[in-house]
Amino acid sequence: MKKGKVLKIVTVLLVLGLLLVTGCGTGGTSSSQAAGGPITVTFWHSMGGVPAKTLTTLINKFNATHKDIQVKLVYQGSYDDAFNKLKASPDQGPDLFQVYDIGTRYMIDAGLVTPMQNFIDKSKFDLSQFEPHVLHYYEVGGKLYSMPFNTSVPVLYYNKTMFKAAGLDPNKPPLTFADVEKDAKALTTKSGGKTVYGFSQAIYGWFFEQYLARDGALYVNNGNGRDKAATESLVNSPAGVDILTWWKKMIDDGAATNLGRQTSATQAAFGAQQIAMTIDSCGILPNLTTAAAGKFKIGIAPLPRGNNASDSGPIIGGGSLWILKNKPKAEQEAAWKVVQWLTQPAQMAAWTVGTGYLPINKAAVNEQTYKDFLAKYPSYQVALDQLHNTPENRVTEGGRIGVFTSARATVENAIEQAVLNKATPQAALDAAAKKITSAIQEYNQTMGVK
Amino acid sequence: MQREEPKSEPGSQAKSGVKAKGAKELAHALVYLGPSLILFLIFVFYPMVKTVYLSFYLTNPGGDPVVWKGIQAYLTLLGSSSFRNSVVVSFLFVLYTVPGTILASLLLAVLANVKLRGIGVYRTLYSLTIGVSVASAATIWMLLFSPADNGMLNYFLHLVGLPKIGWLVTTRSALPSLALMTVWMGVGFNFIVLMGGLQSLPEEIFESARIDGAGRWKQFRHITVPLLSPTLFFLLVVDTIAAFQSFGQFNILTLGGPDHSTNVIVYSIYREAFFNSRFGPASAQAVVLFVIILILTLLQFGVVERKVHYQ
Repeated sequence: MKKGKVLKIVTVLLVLGLLLVTGCGTGGTSSSQAAGGPITVTFWHSMGGVPAKTLTTLINKFNATHKDIQVKLVYQGSYDDAFNKLKASPDQGPDLFQVYDIGTRYMIDAGLVTPMQNFIDKSKFDLSQFEPHVLHYYEVGGKLYSMPFNTSVPVLYYNKTMFKAAGLDPNKPPLTFADVEKDAKALTTKSGGKTVYGFSQAIYGWFFEQYLARDGALYVNNGNGRDKAATESLVNSPAGVDILTWWKKMIDDGAATNLGRQTSATQAAFGAQQIAMTIDSCGILPNLTTAAAGKFKIGIAPLPRGNNASDSGPIIGGGSLWILKNKPKAEQEAAWKVVQWLTQPAQMAAWTVGTGYLPINKAAVNEQTYKDFLAKYPSYQVALDQLHNTPENRVTEGGRIGVFTSARATVENAIEQAVLNKATPQAALDAAAKKITSAIQEYNQTMGVK
Repeated sequence: MQREEPKSEPGSQAKSGVKAKGAKELAHALVYLGPSLILFLIFVFYPMVKTVYLSFYLTNPGGDPVVWKGIQAYLTLLGSSSFRNSVVVSFLFVLYTVPGTILASLLLAVLANVKLRGIGVYRTLYSLTIGVSVASAATIWMLLFSPADNGMLNYFLHLVGLPKIGWLVTTRSALPSLALMTVWMGVGFNFIVLMGGLQSLPEEIFESARIDGAGRWKQFRHITVPLLSPTLFFLLVVDTIAAFQSFGQFNILTLGGPDHSTNVIVYSIYREAFFNSRFGPASAQAVVLFVIILILTLLQFGVVERKVHYQ
């Protein structure tokens, strides 16, 4: 081959290489709209499995009924993954973004969003139909920055059939830590080298946050970071230590087992009747019911509370929808239309029925689809009652810090240390509180939060 | 394609001519190297320089450097017990996986090197794991490792009358469990490389060894291993680096837990950077990891390579 020809080929390859490299930088956004065509709203979400199917069905229905707006659903992996992707390149983000409960502070501090309240005020959207506790959770300074969407509370699931076999009343589930401990002992049986445990809960920081609120204790100072920016973690309060002491004692006594961090592991064990009670989100009731079909009956009870705690309530969990501000006005308006449509009673009822998430639009319970659902899973009412019975205060509104993801992981590590006998509950939580406090202060410093 | 003669004919040109030829050759080389150089510049060298730069700062959650900290991050790392733990865990992981993978693959490769009908089936089976991504492997092993009675491995233990193991949920067993899975995954690639090495060994040497009365073990010990040593050395270097850089199985199976017992440096970097948004300290960890791997690789080339027998 001639030298000139080689050079030519190489040059072409070089240019192609450049295209490859620079091409990566510009793809991926959807902000360019064909003139006159429908507006495309890119919607990043983190719903997997059954909820993903339900969301897709809903969005397909929206697209079919709205000729001027087309929603493009993009599954971005777990909440953490999606959140980290947005953090890494905010300019490549979507129009509409589902963020988990604990991402609120960061979303606002990072200045990436158009407050939902702007749209609500402008179109005089009626919020009176929405669950007030849910609205308060997401409000910052009386303003909604995002629209609550998928909402859940933790509940105690128990195996009614095993309750009966152990001589316990299947209609009297445990309500306090002491009750859980007592019942778990009665439910634990050994036969043929196999142990059925009375209780197991995943090492999941969300549960700890919930127990803390249930026992009336704050997660961080300054009114859970709601009166002004939090500066200090309070996870090592007596209530926190009580939670871990109880958790650890049941495992030490052999009445509970530690199945690690994955909630899927406890769910599988509960379905296989290897554990008699577990804690999980109300959202997984349909899944558990399927697993139990033909084998045993499931009961639901409110999240157990600490022995010395007054009757407070849990914080809500789940996610909310955000409209990003670096997109064209028309796309933001279109995204707002999607949000309005999704939170209407009919859609909310379909959403609850298809996922187990709470109907945050109160009118949804009057929809026939919801009534049928409740007839099929009557115990679901416990979850909704728990939401309604929760008093409104700084504790049950939940902590608000910009470093919640890392704080949660820190607490999970503390739980592991206590459960695996690496440290006492007090020592583990003291160390965790110290670490979280330093993370909060560093965050405040880099974000210029005062 | 015909290759150009790399060297000019001796004495046929004046000095300036040699120089011009040298420059021309350099230009020529650059053209050939160009595509990879550009890719390396953009995807390797630029991020590397930027990492070092970021390690001197505290960043905001968007990753922009905002507060100059100098070498503070490095000093903190030196005094940090959790980083020391990460270094220890990383080294243990290398120790648990690299020799195991190479030995297991060598055993399989020697087995599969016999000439039998249908041996191709075994060769294919042994190398299968090369086609399994970390993510799918981790998901499969998550089911195998399930600590409840429905976990497959615990079920087998139960069948043979052994007590259950906590696999990923106890601090003592989590890292060995991950190592087990990583060895399984690494066998495919190692097997193929070793198989290639074995097949290229000259048959005559073995023949004359047999005539001289060398048994199977002697042949293996004194002929196969020395002749295979370049391949083994290559695997040692590559596997060590890969073990240090393992991430997927940690992210999917343990999240660095329980109680940091599987928090290898790479996973700790990921948590620091993308969850805690502390890109500065994370970059400092990345730089330290780079230095560790560099030193180890130099050591391997300096010490171990002397024992390598090149034909």
